[in-house]
Amino acid sequence: MDIIKEYGFIIIFFIMPVIFVIQPLFLPMIEEKKNQLSVDGLKRKKLLIYRQIKELEMDHDIGNINESDYKLSREALKQDVSEIITKLNSL
Amino acid sequence: MTPIAGSVALNLAFGFSILTVLTLFLYNKNGDERLFLTGQRLALGISFFVFLATFILAYQLVQSNFDIDYVARYTSLETPVVYKISALWAGQSGSLLFWLFILSIYTTIVILQNQQKHNSLMPWVIITLAIVQMFFLVLTNYVTNPFKPTDADFIVSNGNGLNPLLQNVTMAIHPPTLYLGYVGFSVPFGFAISAMINRDTSPLWIQSIRRWSLVAWLFLSIGIILGGWWAYRELGWGGYWAWDPVENASFMPWLTATAFVHSIIIQEKKDMLRVWNMVLIIITFTLCIFGTFLTRSGVMSSVHSFTGSSLGPIFLTFVFSIMIVSFGMMYFRRNDLRSTKKMESFTSRESGFLFNNMIFVVMCFAVFWGTLFPVFSEAIRGTKITVGPPFFNQINIPIGLILLALTGIGPLLAWRKTGKKILIRNFTFPIITGLIVAILLLIIGLRGAVVISFSLGAFVTATITTEFTRGIQARRKKFNESIITALIKIVSKNRSRYGGYVVHLGIVFMFVGFTGHAFDQEKEFSLKVGESNHVAGYNFKLIQMSETERPNHYAWISDLRVTNDEGKFVTNLHPEKRIYFHRNPDPNRRQPHSELDIYTTMNRDIYSIFSGVDSENSVAFIKIMVNPLVQWVWLGGYILVFGTIVALWPRKDQ
Repeated sequence: MDIIKEYGFIIIFFIMPVIFVIQPLFLPMIEEKKNQLSVDGLKRKKLLIYRQIKELEMDHDIGNINESDYKLSREALKQDVSEIITKLNSL
Repeated sequence: MTPIAGSVALNLAFGFSILTVLTLFLYNKNGDERLFLTGQRLALGISFFVFLATFILAYQLVQSNFDIDYVARYTSLETPVVYKISALWAGQSGSLLFWLFILSIYTTIVILQNQQKHNSLMPWVIITLAIVQMFFLVLTNYVTNPFKPTDADFIVSNGNGLNPLLQNVTMAIHPPTLYLGYVGFSVPFGFAISAMINRDTSPLWIQSIRRWSLVAWLFLSIGIILGGWWAYRELGWGGYWAWDPVENASFMPWLTATAFVHSIIIQEKKDMLRVWNMVLIIITFTLCIFGTFLTRSGVMSSVHSFTGSSLGPIFLTFVFSIMIVSFGMMYFRRNDLRSTKKMESFTSRESGFLFNNMIFVVMCFAVFWGTLFPVFSEAIRGTKITVGPPFFNQINIPIGLILLALTGIGPLLAWRKTGKKILIRNFTFPIITGLIVAILLLIIGLRGAVVISFSLGAFVTATITTEFTRGIQARRKKFNESIITALIKIVSKNRSRYGGYVVHLGIVFMFVGFTGHAFDQEKEFSLKVGESNHVAGYNFKLIQMSETERPNHYAWISDLRVTNDEGKFVTNLHPEKRIYFHRNPDPNRRQPHSELDIYTTMNRDIYSIFSGVDSENSVAFIKIMVNPLVQWVWLGGYILVFGTIVALWPRKDQ
């Protein structure tokens, strides 16, 4: 009984993890997802700029930024977003 | 669950860490996704074996298996179960395994979180984390193995037991939270290294680590506050911070981490300070490793340093390796790290942030210098010169007050530049508030740093109030909402901003508490039953003194009745004098300990210590301290935690 317990322990805690680790090496070749990587990056950038626009609006609403700076910054951020959207559409 | 399984698990984890690094190196070379998957799973395998080893050690501690040296050293049959578990981080080898355990939790979360994101930074993040794990696996496998059998050639029937100072619930929580902070910075550090290697130093990597940095910062803050709480309630000297080397070891990375969590906002929003942020995260992570070294190497004598060992050279080699590799990498990537944008005005929020960052770093340097001065002086002149609290207070009180002022000034400045009109409008109310408080304090006779601290606290509170009021007003004007709805909306839509303000409020509360220290009073006296003594407007009468034996100690308990000057009853205090391991036949192994009792209000604490007993003549030696405003420090801590949780709370798009 003790031997079974000991072997069971070895199989569960030491052999199973090894099988789990080496299993991907027996899979067929997986294609690289470079395209997916850049799409993800651009989407995250877009999200970041949307947030910045919202925060800029908040600063403007509470009077922490003057009108000309607000317009200038907003236009710059909008320009960045449109460039990202163009890139995303081309992918 | 045999101890040998623990050793094997640690060996396998070490082997897996080498394989993880090799596999992911190969992946970076040939781009075969199968290798990336294998590397990820190998890294999960390291974590699995570390978890296994940790659980085996915890099980052995609970089972009191004194065949293991570590179990015999830090527990005994009398040790309560909760402290048997906390003995896991009481000694050197156990605490290093515990460090590794937490790092493995973080590594597992990072891998699982980014599995579906195809994050290009991930391979190097995993390599960096695996190298850090490898370092700790070398220590736990080959230098200080927690599963080492007991040296004795006889059956060990009982262990040494846990240090009585560590037999405290706070002490059972404080090290894990501190470690969660220390270890947490491995993740942003891993992302920083990966961003440099991948030449992806845009604000995107910052976005990946902002929450991780805040989580690590939160745990480090909680760990430091709990450490102060433990020192205050357990060590019996009446304070919560003594500029002890080990306290400083946690405070230094906290300072640079605080600078970092501020300056990443600039990179995220303005794509500035790329180099500065890299420097800050490298220094923060290095200081976290250095902090572990200070606690665990025995190089500094400290009330918190429970171990002494020869780990020093290994840790120092690792610390220098981290710095050489990281700063070397920064040098080779200097062109990628160059920001395209520049500061436009001195009166901008960006420059406010940068100035606050510099002050944090200066403070960190001052603490570093003071902490290591004994080591430097011994190395250079052969004599160990220790600098005590007066040095640290003299340097850090003015710096701390400047930081407090900046906490108020920063939010009032606009991004890019602050026009004269906005400057006057934003600063008028907070400055007037601060001045009114200063004048009132001067009128009641207070002088010096106390007045500055309280009035700056008022200034910052006014700033925070102004920011909330303006936000609510703007929201109400735009959407016609009630005050409560507008408050909820502005906070929920701008969590990091308003969460940050709440954290600032917590800091103000803590400064109020720190300032209260200037008014502390104390007195030491002896009392027989029925006698009384007078301290700071309170009368202390010894009603009775009793004795009792508990499972792991013997105690004398005093019953002190406290009344005020008018004779009105205030409270009863029961400080105890304890002898741990009292049944040990060797008197040198018995450990005396004073368990204090505190009566707390928001205004002041009455702190009683039973410092000695003459049982033959029934005389108790009592020390009383009246410490004003200490509760403000702990309340500030709660507010700080709450604010950070608000800032961390995920948005819908996350």
